[in-house]
Amino acid sequence: MSIAVDHLGFRYGAGTAGLDDVTLEVGPGELCAVIGPSGCGKSTLLKLVAGFLLPQAGRIAIGGTDAGSLPPRARDLGIVFQNYALFPHMSALDNVAYPLKLRGVGRAERRRRAGEMLERARLSAEADRHPAQLSGGQQQRVALSRALVFRPRALLLDEPLSALDAAHRADMRDEIRSVQREFGIATLHVTHDQEEALSIADRVAVMRGGRLQQHASPRELYDAPVNRFVAGFVGHANLLDGTVTAPGVVTTAIGPLACDTRTQTIGAAVVALFRPEAVRPAPAGGGTNRFAGAVLRDRFLGSLRRFDVAVGDGVVMVETASREAVAAIEIPPASIRLLPPETTNPRGS
Amino acid sequence: MAGPQIRTPRLRLIALAAPGLAALGFFFILPLAVVAGEAFAGDAFARFLASADLIGALGRSLLLGIGAGGVSLVVGIAVALHLSRLPPARRALLQLVIALPLTFSGLIIAYGFILVLGRAGFVTLLLAEIGVDPGQVAALLYGPAGLVMAYAYYLTPRVVLMLLPVFANFDQRQIDAAESMGAGRARALIDILAPQVAPTAFAAFCLVAAVAIGTYGTALALVGTQLDILPLRLYSMVADAGADFPLAAATSIVLLATCSLLMGVAEVVAARAESRHV
Repeated sequence: MSIAVDHLGFRYGAGTAGLDDVTLEVGPGELCAVIGPSGCGKSTLLKLVAGFLLPQAGRIAIGGTDAGSLPPRARDLGIVFQNYALFPHMSALDNVAYPLKLRGVGRAERRRRAGEMLERARLSAEADRHPAQLSGGQQQRVALSRALVFRPRALLLDEPLSALDAAHRADMRDEIRSVQREFGIATLHVTHDQEEALSIADRVAVMRGGRLQQHASPRELYDAPVNRFVAGFVGHANLLDGTVTAPGVVTTAIGPLACDTRTQTIGAAVVALFRPEAVRPAPAGGGTNRFAGAVLRDRFLGSLRRFDVAVGDGVVMVETASREAVAAIEIPPASIRLLPPETTNPRGS
Repeated sequence: MAGPQIRTPRLRLIALAAPGLAALGFFFILPLAVVAGEAFAGDAFARFLASADLIGALGRSLLLGIGAGGVSLVVGIAVALHLSRLPPARRALLQLVIALPLTFSGLIIAYGFILVLGRAGFVTLLLAEIGVDPGQVAALLYGPAGLVMAYAYYLTPRVVLMLLPVFANFDQRQIDAAESMGAGRARALIDILAPQVAPTAFAAFCLVAAVAIGTYGTALALVGTQLDILPLRLYSMVADAGADFPLAAATSIVLLATCSLLMGVAEVVAARAESRHV
């Protein structure tokens, strides 16, 4: 089963927030993460797919059949809500059994199947507890079990890890991934946490201002972002405005950068992107893209050291494992990617 | 604030509590003891139980309590549900208006109802214009139905005040979740919202029913002593010259016990619901 939205549009009242012409497909068994800053439309997208909002434009198909006008109860989707939305008056077992009860499954059978789901989630001992007596991670697993117990056609996850502390988040992330794989279910996972998205998704959709910016694999998103916003939102990035001044040369605030300009024309305004880990500390002296500079801020992060170097009129962020003093840096030309310029200022990172 | 250097000596604590304790003793425990003593001394309880009249009055009081409590509950749920969906500022304003009847005495409420629905009442005269007999309207007011109406008028705010936090704190996403699992709106409300509201709703019902059973000011002003309910019986007993004080004392104890029992049930149910959901 798959989820497909086609030229989907929605607007809240007269405001600009909403969704603008979004086309996206989540294939069978695929986990698609939707990320973006607050107000980018990712929650609206989820509500539209779930049926809590009705689209004003475009189509929604679930499992190949048109679902855009169906009420939520007829869409056959498993949903894990941000705060889990567990029923506080029911035990964990009754929570998980509730979707089966709605489907007319007999009491003994639904208790058996709910019990199996809880066992899979290692919650058999907590089956009779109420949500208030469970930890955040346990509530999360109950919510996930409840969303999958009736074998829905697709799974929607609305910021499922945001209520957990950092220590549990990584574990739950892996658990969600393994359960999703096991069920082989198309999954739309909305999150504001790019690390979460990159680590578990097959493909990631980056949204901004109601529009889809890029929909690609985590690796492609990181290595080949389509614009300045995606580059800045996904991972750390050095983004320098510049102009192509000669073949193979882009002039920026830190000086002339040697890089591949074959796709550009002379005089074109561009944004030069290179990742901090691509920049190498180097001995002072001449060389391609070698710049002397003063270290501004030096942060020791254990396995990694991240520092800012003032070069010319600009600043370059560098990540390295080296602990040596730095007098100059080198930016390999192959690591530089030229992006189209953008007038609006994206969220930095 | 609990540092040892500011620990108040025990003697001073007792001195500070003394006026309150004295008031409690003189104006609650002592009268209660006297009444109880009087009630239990002779055969007053046996006479109460043997009196079909008084048992009947007790039954009518219970019916009145259930009726007024039921009406208050239904109206209160509707109002609380509506309030819970309003933005906080408007909710606060409306809450203030709704709580106003709580400050009125029972007599004033009765007077208000007489001005509106009495024989020469404002609404009665308006209804007369479309052919409704003023006598019938007044008869309705000056009887059990009128009492239920007047009681519900000042008991409903109590129900609203108790239920509003439950509705306001209810996470609407639970309903969304139930619907996404395949429940229709009505089914979701019955399965998910109703059980979570029920304990507080029941507690509110007990509380207002207890008030309705025990109160007499409004009843006296509206129906005089014609309506045979226990508080008015009690009023007649102590107001008459040559009253049968032991029987009045026994009646008081029965009335007090009935109301206290209901309030007790309400407390237990509310506490239990709270302990489960925290």
